Amino acid sequence: MAAADIFSALAGNLMLASQDSAPIPIAETAAGMGWAGWILWLPAISTVMCGLCAAMRVKTKLPAWITVGLLGTSFLMTLALWLRYDQPVVIHLLDWFVLGGDGWAFIANFSLYVDSLTLLWMLFVTGLGTLIALYASEYMEADVRGGYARFFAGISVFLFAMTALVMADNLLMLYLGWEGVGFASYWLIGYYYRKPSAVAAAKKAFIVNRIGDLGLALAVFLIWHNFGTVEYRALFEALQSGSYNTEAGGWSIKAIPYLLMLAAFGKSAQIPLYVWLPDAMEGPTPVSALIHAATMVTAGVFLVARMYPVFLLEPASLTVVAWIGGLTALLAATIAMAQHDIKRIFAYSTISQLGYMFMGIGLFTTAGAAYHVFTHAFFKAVLFLTAGVVMHGFAGQVDLRKVSGLRHLPGFRITSFTMLYACACLAGVPLITNGFWSKDAIMAQAFISTGPGFRALGVIAIITAFLTAYYAFRVWFRVCAGPVHFEPGEEQHDDHHAAEHGEFRPHAPRLVVNFVLIVITIGAVGSIFLKGWAGERIEDSTAAYHTPHALGVGFWGDPHVWMPWVASAVGLLGIVVAGYFHLVNRKAADGLKNAMLANPATRWLPTAMENKWYVDELYHLMFRGPLWLGGHILNLFDRYIIDMAIVDGVARIPRLLGRGFQPLSNGILQSYAVSMAGGVALLAILVFLMPQLVDWLSHWMGGAG
Amino acid sequence: MVDKLWFLIPEMWLFVGVVVISVMGLCKARGLRNAVPLVVIGFLAVAFIITPLLYTDDRLAKVADGLLIPMLGRYVKMVVCAVGIVLTMLSIGLIDRPLEQAVASGRARFDPIRVSRGEYFVFFLLSLIGVMLVCNANDLIWLFLALELTSLPTYVMVAISRPSRKAQEAAVKYFFLGAMSASIFLYGLALLYGSTGTIVLTEMRDAFAEQAATGGLNRLALVGMVLALLGVSYKIVAVPMHFYAADVYEGAASAVTAFLAFVPKTAGMLAIILLLMTVGWSGHLGPGVEGLPQPILITLWMMAVLTMTLGNVGAMLQRSAKRLLAYSSIAHSGYMLIGVIAGPTLGINAVLLYLLAYGVMNTAAFAVLGALERKGEEIESLDDLAGLRHRHPALAIVMAITALSLVGFPPLLGFLGKLYLFMAGVEAGHVALVVIALINSAISAWYYLLLLGLPMLAMPTPTSETIVSRPVIWPRVAALATAIGVVGLPLVAGRLLSASEAVIQTDEVSPMVDQFDVSMADQPTEDQRAP
Repeated sequence: MAAADIFSALAGNLMLASQDSAPIPIAETAAGMGWAGWILWLPAISTVMCGLCAAMRVKTKLPAWITVGLLGTSFLMTLALWLRYDQPVVIHLLDWFVLGGDGWAFIANFSLYVDSLTLLWMLFVTGLGTLIALYASEYMEADVRGGYARFFAGISVFLFAMTALVMADNLLMLYLGWEGVGFASYWLIGYYYRKPSAVAAAKKAFIVNRIGDLGLALAVFLIWHNFGTVEYRALFEALQSGSYNTEAGGWSIKAIPYLLMLAAFGKSAQIPLYVWLPDAMEGPTPVSALIHAATMVTAGVFLVARMYPVFLLEPASLTVVAWIGGLTALLAATIAMAQHDIKRIFAYSTISQLGYMFMGIGLFTTAGAAYHVFTHAFFKAVLFLTAGVVMHGFAGQVDLRKVSGLRHLPGFRITSFTMLYACACLAGVPLITNGFWSKDAIMAQAFISTGPGFRALGVIAIITAFLTAYYAFRVWFRVCAGPVHFEPGEEQHDDHHAAEHGEFRPHAPRLVVNFVLIVITIGAVGSIFLKGWAGERIEDSTAAYHTPHALGVGFWGDPHVWMPWVASAVGLLGIVVAGYFHLVNRKAADGLKNAMLANPATRWLPTAMENKWYVDELYHLMFRGPLWLGGHILNLFDRYIIDMAIVDGVARIPRLLGRGFQPLSNGILQSYAVSMAGGVALLAILVFLMPQLVDWLSHWMGGAG
Repeated sequence: MVDKLWFLIPEMWLFVGVVVISVMGLCKARGLRNAVPLVVIGFLAVAFIITPLLYTDDRLAKVADGLLIPMLGRYVKMVVCAVGIVLTMLSIGLIDRPLEQAVASGRARFDPIRVSRGEYFVFFLLSLIGVMLVCNANDLIWLFLALELTSLPTYVMVAISRPSRKAQEAAVKYFFLGAMSASIFLYGLALLYGSTGTIVLTEMRDAFAEQAATGGLNRLALVGMVLALLGVSYKIVAVPMHFYAADVYEGAASAVTAFLAFVPKTAGMLAIILLLMTVGWSGHLGPGVEGLPQPILITLWMMAVLTMTLGNVGAMLQRSAKRLLAYSSIAHSGYMLIGVIAGPTLGINAVLLYLLAYGVMNTAAFAVLGALERKGEEIESLDDLAGLRHRHPALAIVMAITALSLVGFPPLLGFLGKLYLFMAGVEAGHVALVVIALINSAISAWYYLLLLGLPMLAMPTPTSETIVSRPVIWPRVAALATAIGVVGLPLVAGRLLSASEAVIQTDEVSPMVDQFDVSMADQPTEDQRAP
């Protein structure tokens, strides 16, 4: 396609976007729905109660049961809210910021904006939150005498913040939740605070996220500047009626989607801000499953979906979203292929799948993207939870070369098969997996929507799908299939299954963990049938883009017809390749790698993939070095110029002043009385007997007087 | 008359409480004596609940002409009762402690002559009744009597709060200087009467309006008003009447110090607002001139600047936590005067909000000090707080939160209070004053951060290791409750603001919205900005 064609297609796209977008559904104010506030408050109560448990040094599993109970209730209430849902509503809980006057008002209340997008997210956030908290009750039991309550307080804080983020009816409350989930993530990544790598990872996650948060803050400022509101309803109404001034805004309106994008890419780990997520795996595995796979990292996707009408003001921004998503998907998949740490593989896979979601949004199929968020939440949670079982069972072992044949080990059968199904979902095994259906929706759209290079994106997506199938089954064939063989890790968090007598016994999961694995897997199976449902949820909300199919003529006929075949083929091919290298002939994989390393022409490829394309090192060079230098220069400036010359100098003035008045407060009654009378007299004389001075003073004082 | 009495029901109810506890405090049964503070809390709670029920629209309509600010009572009485409950908790177990211990262990016999717990709480309640009465003042005599009813019991409370010579000395100083300030205040009132020929506040307002219409306010009235303001500045610990504060606050027990920093200060602030309402902020110097009459403005302006500066500078030099908080109390009065100068409605609302904010923050700080002791003696030195986190983490956190709030750190209560005060100042055009206040806020961080850093960051010293918490739990409950208030009240900021806004809604003054309107007029609106 020639460049001119691309641009004309884009122009057509722009016109379509502005003409055919269907009315944005406007929410109504709901009365008598205050009970829904408890969805938000229950996790907060749970935090406080876990905090109290920590303060009272409770040495039982009480914090876990509190958390599971309250989060479970929160989930049930979400379910009830969903069952009663018939139209978008705003539920007012309490006043927070109400400032204003004639012509302007800054209102940001604790209110819930409930539409089907909110409900879709809330259902899996609270549902998976409850289940993973249940899983953690057993997984973390070695810490019952340590940080158990601290852990569950962190989980509850996260759920509270995430609920605030998703259910907020204004951008300020969303920002509160946004920062809150970042804080909870920091808290939980650094849970093992005695481990330097965990502390470093927590810091890295927080700092990288701050860059994105800056984008969100600026976007909120600009939205307030241009639309005079931070409330969704008023914002959507303004967008709907066009009662804002596009010319007056100019760049400041066009900048909003890009700033929001920066925030989304930070939270959802996309290029260039993805580097924190793999390191975040230093946190306990339930945290990785809940926060860094299933829920928090989809907040970026949620933000873009929620603000979709704003993105449609500048459709070129959606193209950027699509491309960043596609490239991230490919990059992360290539890195995942060459890692040995199971959790890191899954982390890169999360980044890659998030890339698919952003690609879907950018390709105008919010419904597909949201459905992928939904299915991914289930299978990725299972993947992480099974990885956690492996870690837990083999004393912290996460290297896929050192554990093999898990499915033949007693007690690990359920783990193996749930992991198999989740890997199949990730790989997109046709028909029986939810990942197949959701990925298909996005990939087919690449050949339907018209935009700059969307076809190329589609090809990238297909290649990535192949790589995904390969690395997913690489893990499963290595860890679960093959001959039984294992080496324990170095972690000895519990005495009775440590290698005391030279013999190591794997620590098989018990009832609760298996129960959670099965329930989430059943959820994953169930979500196969929810494609239409998830689509309807989106069509009904502000994230809907109602004319995707009219955007372009299908490429090679109807992509929805041929894409399933292509996707199935590449998925199965990936599995077959993985099966050959990692099950049938494990030596072949190493042989291939060695052959590539031996050949100078191809040596770079495996090395670069294993070293994550040197992105961390690049960032280190680009940002940390100059910042370090700048920091030191500023430090010297601060120490010698600011501190010594200015601060100490200025600080001396009040102290000297104080010394001067010190003799007056000598504790003697008479002197106090004289001072007071003198003060009164002085002021009275000043005010009444010195008119010139008074005039001069009142002139200088300003004010209306 | 009956209609006026209707609004005095909370005061009358608390007076019933006074009678009950004065008897209970003398009972031989220890349980009854110990129950005195709980009864006080009960009476205050009931007063808190009934107050909003009394202020109904039809009742208000009947007395609207008699009172300058009819709705003032509802807000102030509720705030006073709420803070009063916390202050009561702080005082539990304070009075008669050696005597009660001796009686409990059988070393001494109970002797009604020697106990003073009942009296302490009687004076406590009477002082609170005084503040409440100030809101209802409709003439100068009432105002003066209510103010003195607030102050006189506090002299006794200071004296009996601690079995130490320091407390006695503080009480004597407090009393004599208080008497002097009262005489100055009274002199001012006399001159006001002389210039207007009336003592009824509403009639005074009309007289001043008449004077203003015929060539400006009477000279005598201005002198009277300035003297009255200077006299009442004793109650709010403002320059030039601030000298007593450090000595008296240091001498009294922490519970009483917290009381002194809130109750008389509230009464004084309300008295200033009521007096200034008669003159009005709408310009009596001549047509077209807005704001307070010039001599009054200059007096208040100087008072505000000197008060906040001296308070902050003085606080920096202290090594005693109580003296530090005494100077901080002075500084905060200075900030509040900005709101008074700015005037209705924004400024007065800000002052009313700040009274609550300061009451809560200040009580929190003193509650922490009051909850700790060494060998039965209260702690005073800042060094005693070093490393508090290691032994009393909850109290250390309360102190840290309170310190941040006192600096005005968002989103805590102190920030909210300062925000509205300074906003009101800027809206009224007193930018210079607000700038000075901001510089002062920055200076105040110096010593408030000591209150944050010492408990949280410093390591415990051998002397601070010997600190224990008081045997009764109530001071700690009070500390916790106020800390929750410091963090939680900003969340209901909307509710609080509308409560304090409802106070001032008279005809002369424009509602809050119009104040914003003035400022918005200068800026281009959304439409004008379009090309």
